[in-house]
Amino acid sequence: MILVAKLISWISLVALIAPAILFLMGRMELDQVKMVMLISTVVWFVTAAMWMWGKE
Amino acid sequence: MSSEENSSEQQSQGEFERQAVPQSSWLGFRSFIGMYAGEHCAGTELMIGPLFVAAGVSAFDVVVGLIVGNLLAVLSWMFLCAPIATRTRLTLYYQLEKICGRRLVILYNIANGVMFCFLAGSMITVSATALGVWFKFPMPGLNDLYPNSVGWVIAVLAIGVLISFVAAFGYKTVAKFANIAAPWMVLVFLAFGLIGLRNFIVATGTEVSSAGDVWGLCKDTIWKGGDPLPGQIKFTFWHVMFFAWFCNMAMHVGMSDLTVLRFAKKSWYGSASATGMYVGHFMAWLAAAMLFAFQLHQTHPDQYMADLLTQNTTAKYTQSALMDGPMSPDLIREAMEIEAQLVADGTIAKEDMKISVPTPLPGPLAYGACGITGLICVIIAGWTTANPTIYRAGLAFQAIIPKASRFKVTIATGLLATVAAMFPAIAMKLLGFVMLYGMILMPMGAVVFVDFWLLKKFGLQSNYAEVSGKTFNWAAGLAWFLTFGVCCYFVKYTGIQIFFVSLPGWFIAAALYICISLIYQKKIRPTGQEV
Repeated sequence: MILVAKLISWISLVALIAPAILFLMGRMELDQVKMVMLISTVVWFVTAAMWMWGKE
Repeated sequence: MSSEENSSEQQSQGEFERQAVPQSSWLGFRSFIGMYAGEHCAGTELMIGPLFVAAGVSAFDVVVGLIVGNLLAVLSWMFLCAPIATRTRLTLYYQLEKICGRRLVILYNIANGVMFCFLAGSMITVSATALGVWFKFPMPGLNDLYPNSVGWVIAVLAIGVLISFVAAFGYKTVAKFANIAAPWMVLVFLAFGLIGLRNFIVATGTEVSSAGDVWGLCKDTIWKGGDPLPGQIKFTFWHVMFFAWFCNMAMHVGMSDLTVLRFAKKSWYGSASATGMYVGHFMAWLAAAMLFAFQLHQTHPDQYMADLLTQNTTAKYTQSALMDGPMSPDLIREAMEIEAQLVADGTIAKEDMKISVPTPLPGPLAYGACGITGLICVIIAGWTTANPTIYRAGLAFQAIIPKASRFKVTIATGLLATVAAMFPAIAMKLLGFVMLYGMILMPMGAVVFVDFWLLKKFGLQSNYAEVSGKTFNWAAGLAWFLTFGVCCYFVKYTGIQIFFVSLPGWFIAAALYICISLIYQKKIRPTGQEV
């Protein structure tokens, strides 16, 4: 479970920055960028909390 | 902007506060990489980058100035702070107590605590600008000193009180949350820069096919140089370099990070600060700067300003040229002068003055680039960094009144920071404030450096307060007060800007500490006592 959460959280970080890179290349609209970033943000905080919260 | 969260946590648990860190608790290089990278990506970065733009900095000056200044900061951590930290393995407070005595350390704590309060205040200010996007209350301007609307005061109060109670109740919870937010926040900052760059490419119609094209866009459009906005001082390469070097002066030259780096296995681990400098103080500053530069690029004089300029100058401007062209510092300055003259003549009332300077407000800037994610980033960046800052300020004050409860002291400290946050002057003048913070605490760093490396070479006693039983080492105290006085004199009466006084100030403090110690220790120490 933790392994899956880790994997999803790292993918969400890639999904967080990828839209901005695509926008820079002119391959994505800004509204889409904002939407994908918001979804990635929610996924990151939910999944990262599952494996990072317990760490000291 | 600072880097003591780990150690603050350990201190709160009473770990090694008054003893050397044992070898079993030393940490590896990776621990410091993550810590510095996360902690220097703070809410205040969203103000500092835009303030560089407001200061009229050019592309070469900002890029090269930041590269050099951040390198000097890393070297200061590596060669000034870390070597002492890994030899003594004591907190700064305990080290200072041995050198200066308990009563002088109390004074240091007061100064440190007050500066932490103001710094936390500026972080709360940054977070409150995000609420302005949602609730649409009037937000402060670049040259505002006082709160300008009830909505602003309520927003700051709401965030400040919330942060204060969370800091008092659940410091560790927020510290954990900050760890989770750190990698996400770094990427959102990077996204600000990428989106800002694309906005400029589209707005200017620039064809970008090489790095040279990007550099051309940077120097001709984003960081054009020229005059600063009205009320701001002009930034050159030297301003940027010294700012990047000294914005964390209290931490490296001022030795505050002895508390952090005493856990490092090797002194070269101080180089881990490079992650914080080049992620937070290079990438994040430039990214945030691009957002404000784009706001300026998109701003054109409105009808009122165009009327003011065309009707009160002789054929200098035309309406269409003004309203189609970009806003420039010269235009704003001229319009403000005309408006002030009209008020003086009685042509318009003072309350009807409408010309204002474009203001870098992190909330609206971040929202424009990344939408709700940007707003969340502004709030979290301010909150997660204000939290440990308020906590540390509370620790500093509690050292003065040890019997007071940690909870009450932290709440009181948070409320003080909240009141400070209501005054936008601190955030809007953040560049100068950060320099003042370093200038006040820097002399004690010089005292620690000299005491550790040089004092014995002059036949003097290091850790004098501990050895002599004094509670106030006047040599250290006078070195601090006189250096601060001399630096203030330079700034106020000789026209040297605050960015440049701390470097000579460090040498003055070092020389004063040696000279006064030569007299003071000779006078106090009984004849023939071994050094």
